[in-house]
Amino acid sequence: MTLLDFARGPALEASLFIFVAGVIWRCVGTLLLPWRLVRVEPRKGASSPWVAALKGVLVKLWPYDTFAKSGVVQFVNGYIFHAGFAVVFLLFAPHILFIKGVTGLSWPSLPNNVIMMIGVVTAASLVVALVFRVTSPVLRLISRVDDYISWFLTFLPVATGLMAAAHLGLRYETLLSLHILSFCALLVWFPFGKLMHAFLFAFSRAVTGVRMGQRGAAI
Amino acid sequence: MSEVLPYSGLTGMADAVLSEVAALAKLACDTGETASINLTAMPLTRQDREAIETRLGRGEVEATVDAGGRCDVWETAYAGVWFVRYRGLDDRVATEAIEICPSPLILMSHPDDRRVAATRLGEDLRAAASAAA
Amino acid sequence: MATPLLNPPAPGRTLGESLQQRGVSRRALLKYAAYLGGLMAMPASTTQAFAEGLASARRQSVIWLSFQECTGCTESVTRPFSPTFESMIFDLISLDYHETLQTASGEAAEEARLKAMADNKGKYIVVVEGAIPAKDGGIYSTIAGQTNLDMLRDTVKDALAVVAVGTCASFGGIPKANPNPTGAGPASDFVTAKPVIAIPGCPPIAEAMAGTIAYMISFGKLPELDQRGRPKAFYGETIHDRCYRRPFYERGQFADSFDDEGARRGYCLYKVGCKGPVTYNSCATLKWNGGVSFPIQSGHGCLGCSEPDFWDQGGFYRPLSASLHNLGLPLAAAGVAGVALGAGAAWTARRHLASRGQDVATPEGKKP
Repeated sequence: MTLLDFARGPALEASLFIFVAGVIWRCVGTLLLPWRLVRVEPRKGASSPWVAALKGVLVKLWPYDTFAKSGVVQFVNGYIFHAGFAVVFLLFAPHILFIKGVTGLSWPSLPNNVIMMIGVVTAASLVVALVFRVTSPVLRLISRVDDYISWFLTFLPVATGLMAAAHLGLRYETLLSLHILSFCALLVWFPFGKLMHAFLFAFSRAVTGVRMGQRGAAI
Repeated sequence: MSEVLPYSGLTGMADAVLSEVAALAKLACDTGETASINLTAMPLTRQDREAIETRLGRGEVEATVDAGGRCDVWETAYAGVWFVRYRGLDDRVATEAIEICPSPLILMSHPDDRRVAATRLGEDLRAAASAAA
Repeated sequence: MATPLLNPPAPGRTLGESLQQRGVSRRALLKYAAYLGGLMAMPASTTQAFAEGLASARRQSVIWLSFQECTGCTESVTRPFSPTFESMIFDLISLDYHETLQTASGEAAEEARLKAMADNKGKYIVVVEGAIPAKDGGIYSTIAGQTNLDMLRDTVKDALAVVAVGTCASFGGIPKANPNPTGAGPASDFVTAKPVIAIPGCPPIAEAMAGTIAYMISFGKLPELDQRGRPKAFYGETIHDRCYRRPFYERGQFADSFDDEGARRGYCLYKVGCKGPVTYNSCATLKWNGGVSFPIQSGHGCLGCSEPDFWDQGGFYRPLSASLHNLGLPLAAAGVAGVALGAGAAWTARRHLASRGQDVATPEGKKP
């Protein structure tokens, strides 16, 4: 069995299994957690919990005015990364074929040179994010191993994908195998670390929204 | 299904090849170093190949060599720049090259062939003479 | 140009001399060297040396062994059937044993092989076509009462080098495909003391075989090989990197299925399973049958036939970026497992909270 066969076969199957099981475990486990009993009536004029939950999720999509000036660069860099990653992952033809193989769904793709450019920008924004994390005293203080592992396992698929597309360093089939295996590593790590924010961010922001909403506090 | 190229027409490769020919021709005059540019392996469109052939033109010498299939050789309008086209099965073009040299090797008679031919000519003449006698 | 089997060369003659005897001038050798050299991307300055090397070499004795094969490789290499310089390889070699092509048969054929081995001890090339079954002592393929395994071991003992022609001999090919009932393996599994060159392909391109043999005859050494033992001159690049449809791939123009609009326009065949990106061969440049066409040009994706285990890659129509395994069932099971784990985790959390005396509530924040 070549490395590519291993990557496309047992590695993808096992890691996707762990990813799906793990994400569902954590989401279901979170959703089924009990709500804390609140002994006071909600404030008059407070919006319904569902509206408050939605507000909680949406409002945090842009920094507050107070923090806008100091935090906007980092915030925008985050968007650049997320948007770039989404475009590269979801709009590159071979990736769409992979998703089609798993889910049956497919959609039109973007030309390769556009994807390549966006991929480079995505990789750059990841490096910028790491620089922020390492140079800011606050971020450095609150960063844990989890953060660095999550960064590394996110950076690796982007980097190996670009290397494979550019035939950089090793034979193409080896680079392709490493790209797929790095994606497998990301999948395996995903349910167990900070990367779960991809799903859990909605829950935590919603809960904050509900809590503040009951008090009638604008967030 | 014939090859439907995603690109057609002149790609600019003809200009690149001709520049290389010019540089090699100058080098050949200065240092005596001969050179050959194999056109078959290059990603040239039909228009590129036609452009190269047309712009180099034809000169004073044209030859057809029959050695293991047909072979067309001609000197272009530029002395010392030759076009060599080897043909194979059904006269399809097997290899073509631009050779920068006083004369392409394929036109020259090899020393081994000459030695054998000289011996054979002597023998043929002797045989004819004894037959006449 | 007479075929080699009908016109055996006088012993001791160089190739240049024996060709001359038949009226083939050194120009034809030069043309052949230029043609092969061009295919192998050798610098033009080496053409003369290549031709001189061929002329001064002795006729190379070749013993061609046919094992678990379909004879397609022989067909491919002997395709230039009309006498032109493409078939010149048969003037350069003395095909002393070939079960399909030789006129002798039975005991006489085997004697011819043994005699050629003795006469050319240490100097003959063994060409292996087909895989070799090894299970149960190799009894699943025998010739003249001798297993392929034994015949191979006997024949390569005094050989100069071994050329594994075709994917079966190079990597195991179709006999080795799942479930491999005969225990088939490539020549390199069973030949360890001699250099083995792989010329894979199902079948290989004729010029890959001719060019490699001619190179060995002329320069007296093996051409540069990649890590799978394939000559880099023919197997140094992937189909994808030289495919004329590559611009369509880059632009994102694909055929979604056979004979659809994209297919009719000659778009990239990645979506219908083309393995071009991971397949090393010269199909995109040299093409087949003297440059007529190759699978992609004819509208079908590359099968990856010059790579190991190409039969077991999940199917010819499964795209390269898709998972090899069918994931419906495993992922459904993962979903069930996830729900079970999640419910279990939540239940443990609730019990833990209850034991600490914390009150639980409905999602609306009310006491249940």
